[in-house]
Amino acid sequence: MRQNSSNLFAMSLDKQDSPFVYTDEQLIARFQTGDEQAYVELVNRYRDRLMNFVFQFLGDMEQSEDVVQDTMLKLFEKKHYYREIAKFSTWIYTIARNLANTELRKRKRRKVTVLSQMTRDEREYELPAIQPETGQEVQNEYAEKRIQIAIHALPEHFKTVIILRDIQELSYDDISSIVGVPLGTVKSRINRARLQLQADLKDLR
Amino acid sequence: MNRYEFEDLISDYIDNSLTLSKRKEFENYLTEDPEAQSLVDQVSYTIDQLKNIQKVKVSDHFNDHLLKRIKNEQSKHRLNPVPNQKRFLGFSPLYASLMTGLTIALFIVSLQLFAPDKDTFTKQNRFYVKNPVPTLSSPKIAKSNPKSQELAEAKEDSLDQKSTKSPKKDYTKQIQLVKD
Repeated sequence: MRQNSSNLFAMSLDKQDSPFVYTDEQLIARFQTGDEQAYVELVNRYRDRLMNFVFQFLGDMEQSEDVVQDTMLKLFEKKHYYREIAKFSTWIYTIARNLANTELRKRKRRKVTVLSQMTRDEREYELPAIQPETGQEVQNEYAEKRIQIAIHALPEHFKTVIILRDIQELSYDDISSIVGVPLGTVKSRINRARLQLQADLKDLR
Repeated sequence: MNRYEFEDLISDYIDNSLTLSKRKEFENYLTEDPEAQSLVDQVSYTIDQLKNIQKVKVSDHFNDHLLKRIKNEQSKHRLNPVPNQKRFLGFSPLYASLMTGLTIALFIVSLQLFAPDKDTFTKQNRFYVKNPVPTLSSPKIAKSNPKSQELAEAKEDSLDQKSTKSPKKDYTKQIQLVKD
């Protein structure tokens, strides 16, 4: 029985066209009752969104993908921990955020212990000197790199809320649930983060 | 409106979530201070830049890798199934027995501490006396004090109640009847 269901899961993972018109909450409810296609649909809905979210934290594609994989694996294993008192999106974002934070902490420890690793990380943020004759594409790339550096430079509590609001475009209520702080605090943090980013990026305009 | 209040309301202004009166107040401040207008424009531009940042995607092998990992996890669980332990009030047998032992020990200790009959406590204490009270017949005292040595060598101990039987006194002769 179990083997059969994994085969079904294996086949359905390749399906790109979504046959579902269910909400996230309905999908997780179906998955909790054993419908693995519902899981596949949830993975397809959230993998890129979470990738974007985690990438803004870590700034590394491979590590970000690993964290998203871990998040999806957690979703598979701990599906019964979800209760419908919260939105599914806030639940999955919370898992991804916690895993990203764990990865960041690990990286910090590695930085302390391995000196060579530190120089490699610093190189990650090195910027190419912009030339006047460079094209629009290169300038955009440069601007994006600058934005990412500015986001990385933000304090942790500002970084999370600004990514969730201005890049993931989540509502203030959802952000409040994910971060676990009151709505007023979220709004205040977002405002302060925007001002700080504006100060860092004003020469880009 | 001061500068601090103005900065606090920038996001609400851009998100269009200010009340009408606050919005008017905010706009008045903007007309008074051209720098403030410039700041609002810059923050607005920064938000647009963040929204238009290039989105990254997972690799093409993401689902395959995920499937492999899930299968690995499932096979691990099959190889090392978690033993179905019996539970007593939510505790495993080991913890349940430990908790029971602790509860009994606590009960006994509390009984001894708060028992109304204190004699039971003192009676039990006598078993823990390691150094008994020295008596005159003990050899240490006998050596240190010659008088006590003599006393120690005495056949009968003056304190021994059995050896010094005091004669019974006859009080019948001393009793006098008193007439009213």
